[in-house]
Amino acid sequence: MADLRRLDEFLRAEAGDAGCTAGEDILDAYIELELAGEDPARVFPGTAIHLRSCPGCRADHNGLLEAARRFADAQPE
Amino acid sequence: MGAEFDDLAQQAANDALINVLARLDDFRGLSRFTTWAYKFVMFEVSGKVARHIWRGQSPSREGLAFEQLPDLLAPQPGDRIEQREQLKALAVAIGELTDRQRQVFVAIALNEVPIDVLAVQLGTNRNAIYKNLFDARRNLRASMAAAGHPVPEEDAA
Repeated sequence: MADLRRLDEFLRAEAGDAGCTAGEDILDAYIELELAGEDPARVFPGTAIHLRSCPGCRADHNGLLEAARRFADAQPE
Repeated sequence: MGAEFDDLAQQAANDALINVLARLDDFRGLSRFTTWAYKFVMFEVSGKVARHIWRGQSPSREGLAFEQLPDLLAPQPGDRIEQREQLKALAVAIGELTDRQRQVFVAIALNEVPIDVLAVQLGTNRNAIYKNLFDARRNLRASMAAAGHPVPEEDAA
């Protein structure tokens, strides 16, 4: 059950949210900036906002970040 | 369960490969090719897991009905008076949402239904559901502010 006492997070709706579709297009580039130690929010501010609010896109982001971190340099067997 | 997920993983890999091959011309080199390709795997996994969860749910299972909200929002021991008033205002504001916004907000924010599962359930996509959720949150904030219980903007850092 949701914790209704955290209303600020519960009602998060920030201006400038790029939405799901815009983030899907650039999620790989966003991840690469993170892995390079750069701040992806400077390049993709709308997606940075979106990832704070959208649980589905945040899960995709976290999964892709982990996959890229572990396997992006994998070579064909 | 293991075999089911092995099958789901295989299907996701196959469908992702088809997607990657179909979109090769779209690759602009903004990331490593593997990261770009894994993105389609991730999208396939998200969609397939959501459909798997949705199919596994009992047909009789329903989300939290709005009528149950007063219980959910009932003041708890230890709540401050301000919090109690805020929760009352939230319950009223939820009642003022459109039917669709209320349906989405109650499912995701209160029942914690995964957004992709709800999208499958309602026959739409994640982006459309997110728009409903975003509008619901904005309307709730506005209603609560108008009722004298503004919710401060969160620290985005």
